[in-house]
Parts: sequence; structure tokens; C-alpha cells
Amino acid sequence: MKISEDKLKQVLADVFGVDVKTINDTTSVDTVAEWDSLRHLNLVLALEQQFNIVFSGEQTVQILSYPLIKIVLEEHGVDFICVNDR
Amino acid sequence: MTKEDLQVALSRITKESSYSVYAAASNILDRLDPTESKMPVLKVVILRNFTVDPLIPVIKGEIASAGFYPVIYLGGYDTIAQEVFDPQSAQYMAQPGLVLISQWLEVLAPALATRFPSLSSSQVNDEIDRVLNMISQFITALRQHTNVPIVVNNFLLPCHSAFGILDVQSEQYQTHAILRLNLELLRCLKKIRDVYLIDYMSLMARIGSEQGVDERYWQIGRAPVGRNALIPLGQEYGKFVRALYGKARKCLVLDCDNVLWGGILGEEDLNNIKLGTAFPGSCYQSFQREILNLHDRGVILALCSKNNEPDVLEVLQNHPDMLLREENFSTWQINWDDKASNLMRIAQELNIGLDSIVFVDDSQFECDLVRERLPQVAVVQLSSDPLTFSAALNAKAYFDTLVFSEEDKNRNQMYRDQRIRKNLNASAGSIEEYLTSLEMVAQIGLVDDASIARVAQLTQKTNQFNLTTRRYSEGDIRLMQPSDADIFYLKLSDRVSDMGLVGVAIVKYSGQQAEVDTFLLSCRVLGRRVEEAFLAHILYYAKACRNCRSVLGCYYATKKNQQVADFYGRMGFRLAGKTELKCDWEFALGEKEFLTPSCINVNVVDSKEG
Repeated sequence: MKISEDKLKQVLADVFGVDVKTINDTTSVDTVAEWDSLRHLNLVLALEQQFNIVFSGEQTVQILSYPLIKIVLEEHGVDFICVNDR
Repeated sequence: MTKEDLQVALSRITKESSYSVYAAASNILDRLDPTESKMPVLKVVILRNFTVDPLIPVIKGEIASAGFYPVIYLGGYDTIAQEVFDPQSAQYMAQPGLVLISQWLEVLAPALATRFPSLSSSQVNDEIDRVLNMISQFITALRQHTNVPIVVNNFLLPCHSAFGILDVQSEQYQTHAILRLNLELLRCLKKIRDVYLIDYMSLMARIGSEQGVDERYWQIGRAPVGRNALIPLGQEYGKFVRALYGKARKCLVLDCDNVLWGGILGEEDLNNIKLGTAFPGSCYQSFQREILNLHDRGVILALCSKNNEPDVLEVLQNHPDMLLREENFSTWQINWDDKASNLMRIAQELNIGLDSIVFVDDSQFECDLVRERLPQVAVVQLSSDPLTFSAALNAKAYFDTLVFSEEDKNRNQMYRDQRIRKNLNASAGSIEEYLTSLEMVAQIGLVDDASIARVAQLTQKTNQFNLTTRRYSEGDIRLMQPSDADIFYLKLSDRVSDMGLVGVAIVKYSGQQAEVDTFLLSCRVLGRRVEEAFLAHILYYAKACRNCRSVLGCYYATKKNQQVADFYGRMGFRLAGKTELKCDWEFALGEKEFLTPSCINVNVVDSKEG
């Protein structure tokens, strides 16, 4: 599945209630004040629903930063297209 | 955050029901001041024994979509007993709008759910009794604090039953034990007023327990509701909010061509439209059956079609495979005018608000036009595939209610009678002659067990002829004491039909003063001077039976009740105070007489008067 990173950033922005422009490779549980354990659960559910995938139990507790989320989504076959490529 | 941000988020919800969209709306709500939202606050107390937190953004989004600003009080994890029995909880329980009790069987009765084969049959029965007793006690204790509706869930059947294929063979085993528990739960809740069941069992069966229950988050955080169930479950709670707080819609307006049958009448011969018992005509029959079910549930049906009227009537009257017939429709607009104007005519004729209407059409153009010009109307746009029609219509449960009364059963008949009256009207010379020719009989009495459900329903549903728009549950009404309040109902019949209970008035007394707390009439009896007869009785009663000297009436302005802004003024009340949203009126009982209009025969059925 080919998708643009914007879609992924929008999911994080929606779940944490922050501006989509603030989401980038430095975004992590340590840099976003709103990223608490309950919102993390919401994030997992939102990502699974948006990309129609199922994380393993391990993965749900691993994806604590934007780059890690991308890596795990890629393992599930999600193919990110860079906006610059187009 | 502003009201506009919220509107954008809510319109995203109507377009794509994804979890992140609900999360976004929920975040905006958290940062938006309730007064800034311009929406009435609806406080919801959630008591639970599992992690319901992921559901909350969906529940909040649904409540906001229904027009309320949600304020959620979430009880602690598995502390329902502590909270309902703790006298301190009276504080947070103060005037919520709704209480939800959410329980998962694995926590409530672990043996029943996860170690069933270890139980003897008497132990199974003991466990069922224990669960039922506990839930009964919770609700009884809650009723000490609050009178608002309570919604309790039933329990899921196991994904894999305890005894495998043997399980369902005997009543003793797990499947039937849980079914029995669910049935007994219903019986137990029915004994307490204003308690409703939310059907987790059927909902999860629809989604599939394997999809709906998430083992990972059950293990990690006791959050069993999986991603595929979160939105449907949250939306299910939304349906209760809509039904309990007067947001259920009343009227279904249907397009004809490619909706009720396949093909276009203007282009095809009547016998060539797709409709019948064989595919694809059978799909349209299925859809018609679905519409008939709504008709039988009390939804008003109407048609809005760009066609020549005689062509459509010909199909309704004579096509052998039509299931819907002319008499099923309360009214129609079949012409070449734009559909927004036609919908307004239908609303006006039926005396209902545009926000009571659901409009169904297959044309993108017509749907967009109605969305644009009449945003209050709910639009269901059908695809070109008739197999999807029923699901599209049912998806939002626009017409769901929690009461089903005699009035609902006969609603369409009533509107048809209305048409007959209109013909009488045309032949009468003056409005007075017409009203007299109707031979109206109003029966006025004090609320009793037989009428209380309908009385509560009217306070929840009536918007237009409603002076104060105070919504009451059955429980609220039972709490009003006969020593200082009277609750009157009015039933109306005429030579055409019996319209049933159509008016409610609540009058509260203090000393020699009466105050009309609620005065409302169903929209189907407006313009017949019934309100005058009703008010005359209340004034008479206040004077003769309650020794009052004056009666206060007030008008609270809402978006929908402008037509009664000057009602008390017209009835001879004196203006006693006025602000932008509220007018106070007073009637001195000694000074003038207030007469019942001669066109209505009033019949008082009141045991107190003898």
C-alpha cells in the first residue's frame, strides 16, 4: 500500500490534538506532552484502523516515536512515498 | 479553539468515520469552552469495570454530533460499587444527563467467563444470581442520587464456548448460561424505571467477536474493545443520547426513480420498471419492505420526486409488485420544482421541523442541493446498487427511539386523516365553521400509569408548540408531588379520528400562585384552538381546585418555538418581565373569565374533581 507521509502525520496530529506541521522525525513520546499512555492506546487503534493492519502485542509497546512508527508500518507493507519524489 | 473548529471536526465525522477523526473532535472539545460552543452541556457519568477510555473519544464525538457539549465523568477502574454506595458521589452525580454502566463479564464473574468447566450447575446458577443481584443493587443505589436514564450493557457470548461443540447442546453449559444471564438481566432492569439495555451481545455478533475483542489490549491494559468495535459501540451509545434527548427524526422523504424501483418512469413504460420478486427487481422490494417496517414503527413517509404526478400515482395504485401503496404516504410533492422547496412544503404541511426529516435520493445533484440549502435535513445518498440501500438507510439509526406507543403505531393513518380534514376545510366557509364541523372532543385528565410514558415522550419530542421546552423522563415526572404540582394531559378526537394523547401541561403551585412549568401540544393538532381549551381548563382548575389567585406563565425562546412567543399575550396574560430569551406573563384569576372555545367539547376525567 503506497501512501503519503502526510496521511500518517495527520493521524498523529488528530490523536494528540496538535498541529500537523509539528509532526516530524523528532516527534516521540518524550517530545509530545500529550503522548500519555491512554493516548498511546488511542494512537495504536487509530493507526490500525487507518492502515488496516494489526500490530503484534510487542509492536504496540514499541512504537514510541514517529520514526519507529514508520519502521513498524513498513514491516506491515505500508510504503511511504516522499512528497519530494512526486 | 472555536466553534468553527468544532464544526469542521464534526463534519469530518459525517464524511469518514475513522477513529482518528473522532480523536481529533474529542481533542477540540477538550480545549473549547462549553459556553463558546453554544451547545447545551450533557453530562455523562460512566461507571465501569474495564478500560473504556478508548471509547470515550467516539462517545464524545457522537454526543457533540447530536448537538450537546459532552462533559464526561469517568469512574475509576472497577470501582462501581465504591462509587454508587459512597455518599460523596452524590456530588459528581448531581444532575448528570445520563449514566452509563459498562461491565465486562471476565471481570464481573471470571469463573463464568473463563473457567466455566470448573463450575457445577448449582454454582453456575449462584454466579448468575450474584451478578444480577449486584447489578440491581448498583442501580437501586444510583437511583438514590439521580433520576436520569441509566444505560447498562448485556454480555458477549464467548468466542469459543467452554465445552466446544457440546456446549450448545445443553442448557447447563456456557452458551445458554450467558443467554440466560442476559435475559434475566433484562427482567431485572425492567423493574426499575428509566433503565435501558445496550446490546453488546448483538453488536459484537454483528462485528464478529474475533474482530471486536482485542486480546492484546485486554492483556496489556484491560481494554477489550478492539479497533473494529470502537466506532460501532460508541455510535450505539450515541443512539441512546439522540433517542433520550429529543433528537430522533420523524419523517422519511423518498425519491422514486431508482430508489423505490429501478429505471425512470418518464422513459419507461410502467411495466418495464425494475420491480418484482426476481433479481434485480427483488432488491427494490427488499428496500420497500425496510421502509414499510419504518412505517409500522411510526415513521411518517412522504415522497419528493421529479416526475409527473399521475405517473407516480399510477405505479403506487396499480403496479402489481409495489409493496408500498398510496395509503402508506402521508403526503407527497411530485413535480418539477427544486427539491429543497418541496422539502420545505412537506415540513410545513406535516407541521414538523426540517431537522425531523431524513431525505433519501440517488442523485448527487439533489443531495448536494439539499445539503447546501437545508443543512438541518439529514441526507442519505444512495449508490446505484440497490443491494446497498437498506444498509445505507439503517446505518445512522435516525429514527431509533426508546418508546413505542399506540400513537406511533397509528401515526401514518393520522396524517392521512389530516388530508381528509383538509378537504373538509376547503368546503367550509370560515375557519370557525370548519373547526365546528370537526366535532372535536378534548379529554383532559391528570397523568396516571397508563399515560405517563406518552407524557414523558411528548416533553422529550415536542419542539414547536412548547412554551418552556423542559425535557422530562418518566422518572422525573413520577417525582413531582401531587401536593404541589399537577400534570395534565389532553387527548383529542374528532369526527375523522382519535389522535390520542397530544397535550401536556405541568403546573406547580406555591401558596396562592400557580406557575405553568410546561405547556405543550403535539404539532399535529395545531391551529384548532385546542390550546385555548387546555389553558382554560388549567386556569379554571388553579382557581377552583387549588385556590390560586394568579397564574404565571413563561416563555423560553428556542430556535423552534417562535410561534408561541406571544401565546400568553394572545390569551390575555399581562407581560410581567422580559429578557432576550425569556418572557414572564401573569393572569389574575379573579379579574377575568377565560372561556373554552365553543368548537371544542371538553370532557374532564379527573378523579379529584369527582
